[in-house]
Amino acid sequence: MVVSFVVVGLAGTRMKRLEWGGWVAVAFSAAALLVGLLIGVGEMLSPGSYTDRQYTWLHLPPAPGAFPHGVSLVVGTLVDPISALMLIVVTVVGFLVMLYSIEYMHRDQGLPRYYSELSLFLAAMSGLVISDNLLEFFIFWELVGLCSYFLIGFYYERPAVASAAKEAFLVTRVGDVMFLLGVFVYFYYYATSGPAGGWAANGFVFTRGTAPFLAGSMGGSSPLLTVAGIMILGGAAGKSAQFPLHVWLPDAMVGPTTVSALIHAATMVAAGVYLLAVTSLFLGFTAVDQLAIVAVGGFTAFFAATMAVVHPDIKRVIAYSTISQLGYMVMAVGAGFAMVGLFHLFTHAFFKALLFLAAGSVIHALGTQDLFKMGGLRKPMRLTAACFAIGGLALAGIPPFAGFWSKDDVLSSVYSQLGAHPAYWPFFLLAFATVFLTGYYIFRAWFLAFSGETVRDPTLPHPHEPPWVMTVPMVVLSALAVASGLLIFVPSFQSLLLVGAGATGIPPTFSTTDLLLSSASVALAAAGILVAWSLWGNGRVVPTEIGFAESVRRLLLNRYYFKAGYDWIGAKGVYTVARAADFFDQFVIDGTIHGFERIFGSLSDRLRRIQSGFVSDYAAYIVAGLITVFVLLLLVAPYVVSRIGGG
Amino acid sequence: MDLQSFAGPFVPEIVLLAATLLVFLLDVVRVRDNEIVGAVALGSVVLALLLVLADLGFAPLAVLATVPSSSIDASVTGAPLYSFTSLGLVFQGLFLLAALLVCLASLSRPKDERGAPIFYGLLLLATLGMVLVAIASDLIFLLLAIELVSVPTYLLVAYSRRDARALEAAMKFYIIGALSTTLSFFGASLLYGAYGTTNLHALATAEAAAGTAGYPVLVLLGYGFLIAGLAFKATLVPFHAWAVDVYDGAPTDVTAFLAGGSKKVGLFAFFLVFLAPILFVRTMASGSPFVTGSVAVGPVLQITLAFLAVVTMTLGNVLALLQKEMKRMLAYSSISQAGYMLIGIAVGTAPALAGATLQILAHVLMKTGAFLVVGAVAALGVGPLIDDYKGLGQKRPLLGVAFGLMLLSLAGVPLTVGFVSKFVLFSAAVQAKGYFVWLAVAGLLNSALSVFYYARVLKVLFFDVAEPRALATGAVVGGSEPEILPVGGLGYGRAAAIALVAVVVVVLGVYPQPVLGAIQNAAQHFVNLGG
Repeated sequence: MVVSFVVVGLAGTRMKRLEWGGWVAVAFSAAALLVGLLIGVGEMLSPGSYTDRQYTWLHLPPAPGAFPHGVSLVVGTLVDPISALMLIVVTVVGFLVMLYSIEYMHRDQGLPRYYSELSLFLAAMSGLVISDNLLEFFIFWELVGLCSYFLIGFYYERPAVASAAKEAFLVTRVGDVMFLLGVFVYFYYYATSGPAGGWAANGFVFTRGTAPFLAGSMGGSSPLLTVAGIMILGGAAGKSAQFPLHVWLPDAMVGPTTVSALIHAATMVAAGVYLLAVTSLFLGFTAVDQLAIVAVGGFTAFFAATMAVVHPDIKRVIAYSTISQLGYMVMAVGAGFAMVGLFHLFTHAFFKALLFLAAGSVIHALGTQDLFKMGGLRKPMRLTAACFAIGGLALAGIPPFAGFWSKDDVLSSVYSQLGAHPAYWPFFLLAFATVFLTGYYIFRAWFLAFSGETVRDPTLPHPHEPPWVMTVPMVVLSALAVASGLLIFVPSFQSLLLVGAGATGIPPTFSTTDLLLSSASVALAAAGILVAWSLWGNGRVVPTEIGFAESVRRLLLNRYYFKAGYDWIGAKGVYTVARAADFFDQFVIDGTIHGFERIFGSLSDRLRRIQSGFVSDYAAYIVAGLITVFVLLLLVAPYVVSRIGGG
Repeated sequence: MDLQSFAGPFVPEIVLLAATLLVFLLDVVRVRDNEIVGAVALGSVVLALLLVLADLGFAPLAVLATVPSSSIDASVTGAPLYSFTSLGLVFQGLFLLAALLVCLASLSRPKDERGAPIFYGLLLLATLGMVLVAIASDLIFLLLAIELVSVPTYLLVAYSRRDARALEAAMKFYIIGALSTTLSFFGASLLYGAYGTTNLHALATAEAAAGTAGYPVLVLLGYGFLIAGLAFKATLVPFHAWAVDVYDGAPTDVTAFLAGGSKKVGLFAFFLVFLAPILFVRTMASGSPFVTGSVAVGPVLQITLAFLAVVTMTLGNVLALLQKEMKRMLAYSSISQAGYMLIGIAVGTAPALAGATLQILAHVLMKTGAFLVVGAVAALGVGPLIDDYKGLGQKRPLLGVAFGLMLLSLAGVPLTVGFVSKFVLFSAAVQAKGYFVWLAVAGLLNSALSVFYYARVLKVLFFDVAEPRALATGAVVGGSEPEILPVGGLGYGRAAAIALVAVVVVVLGVYPQPVLGAIQNAAQHFVNLGG
């Protein structure tokens, strides 16, 4: 069944060149949704069931030597609480975005390309979440990265778009390389030693639900494993746009808004968090790795939120907020609460997709992304305004919206670890402060776009509410933005999260929330919203050209000059290396090849002309070869053997 | 000894022999129609292949099994000329597979071409020789069986009598072949001088019995001559020089047979001759001038073979990189592949032998298939240069895709059999540790290098624009009047052979485990027997 699901997704890529091609893709994604929901419900009804279907692709039997237990490469699907959860996210958001695309994209060129790439992405993403081993996971990981590159570059005629796509590809590639190195280290470590002696032998399969290899030794201390964990963190940081590999995500917003909603908010960017969660549930991290993960997550949450505060582009504000929220998830996973992180991932996927689709609705109506040109949209676009507000309240963490429950769990989980790990304190405080910023920046965007009397830029077209194919997904997501958090009170859903969490050895804190902490965070969020209202409410625009504030604003708008720094490194450093490599290539390699060409070319030409000399030459080679063999056998090889002591 | 128990195990060989005689007899009674004679040859090869598969324990064919399972991989007593090992049977299957593909493709030769019986007769005779090599357990038997392969192939290369290039190639092939045969027999005689036997099992027993006692230089000299003689057949550098001219000059179907089939004979002979001295620990008596104290001989042979392997793959790849003609490029690539295969015996463990065997299986498919495609494309009137293939993938998508799959497999891209075989082979070298890891590194670097020239062909096939005049018709060149063959000028037989290869290359790449497991078992038994 699960395999057929992937096949269905792939089949979606087959249809092309048809006027109604989009509807075919919608139909396929609907089928995928059905399968995904069935799997999810099945998993909820019998929590803790692990359905692993696999077949051995290649098997090397045990033999003395480097891999005493043999090596296996397997392909398989694993359905367990975590993958079921992810599958629901991917298929629900995937289907809704597909539907939304019908109207949103209908004026664009190259729609077959769009739908086939989006279908391929859905298939690859589903494959990623149900992979049952690390190598298969990596293959799908690369595939979703490739789809992301294609889709960011959808409007490839514009230079900014092409360069943003390239940037996304290259920056995530840095992470991918680290991930691959991490896989190598694990391969090396667990092929010969380690608690599961034969992890290489059983094909790197995630046997989730059992205690992780490093369980009980959350302070496991092999330096090699720490290195592997850092490498995995690097891979996750690339995919999930965590500091310092965050630079690509805001620029990726040049892709279609639907793509931003599906790939760069709800699913693909969450793959990094998912990787960390799976690794922590299955392998476990060492204490050093945990601190590093918490630090990266907590710092990114705050760092990205500050940049969202000033940005004039509606999509980029939401993109920074995505980075910030991903930081929360990473921090929760790092603190040992993988399921809490995944719960936040689950709710975030819905309300962030909602925010993007609502923003898309505005962009669709006005044709601009600049918040300062919008305004007064509340009246002509009542539904969109309401949807954006619901998404914003969920993001800010106002009860009873979804974001409240999951973000609160993240904060209280980390809080519960502060006693044991005082080093988490600064990052917890940063994350806590972020709550205020979140409330502020998302409602700054809301007020700028929707409040006031009229659109600020009179040249823009008259705004209107979009047709049903766009509003239905928004309404459904709005409902989910409320309900997905409340699901935690449904016992069978909660059991999904608890089953997965059982493996960490640390019970999650769902619904045992620290009341004081919760009130404090809600108060902070509300304060943020109030500040936003007082500054930007009723269509006000705050003048920013005032001394200190302006310099801060410029720093933030320039993203702390990170991008410029990377560009400089890229331009100066990489370009110089590339020049050197090019020189090497041209003069050394090409020279060698051309030299060879000339030598062998002239030699064989000469030999060809003298036909009688040919065979005797060949015979001479044989005699020379015979002498070589004797020299090797009698002189060289014995000497070598005496030196290195045999095989 | 009654006829039944004597002839029983040899039914595949007898089938081939009978078919050979029948084909020559058909010539005498003037039945020379290509399709009739070809069908006889193909039928006999298929029958022999089924019998061999049955002997290997392929369940659906169990009724056909002719070799008693108790005598397969049985420990040998005395000094028999032949014995049945499961690895030998695997190789029989590989040789018959190569013959099958060539026979199948040759069904599409022009009807009015003369001498079809001679062609098929020689092909069957050479196949018989190859099948006998696979069961040899005596040096003399082995070398004679190799001769039974060589002599018909000399004639096959010269088979188009009016083609001056083919005649020249045959002449070279013959002279160099004769020289190499001499070297092999001289090596065998030195071994006989040292041990008083030419039986491979007796030699192995003598190696084992001598324990760690000193090793006479005479024996090393004997092995040296054998390396040189067998390296001719296996096209190892620097004994390879004939191969490129012969592969280039011979009719393409014959080239497919040489590269896909008869070359593997030399590699299996390496397995048979060198496994025993590598496995048993003995030291050199007089040693080398550089070395004081005793040195084990197994590693000495391993290093020598490893050196030949690295030189062969590297030089083969570098030279392939420089070729402008398709056939010569494939010839050099075939030489470099021989280097990969030699890794198996240089490492000398069961996983490595399994990897090499799988690599040989992959190569039988890929290289036979590739040369058959080249033959087909030449028959469509396309020139010999790689650049002449421009746009073939657009004009002939199916043919292009089939060829592309073979090239991807040669380059070792995942989901093709070429990846599986390289993975198994190189990981066996890593598994063995020590300097063998460097052998794997050399193999990987060479694979990377080889991707370059395979990718170049892929680019020409699919991304370059065809020249307008090429591929205009499906007319067959060579017949007295243009004759349009079915399946777009390829003919049913050739199209079937190419399609078969393309499908098997992918099937074994996606689902290798049954075949891989069988080969791993066979290799393990072979190592347990001590060669």
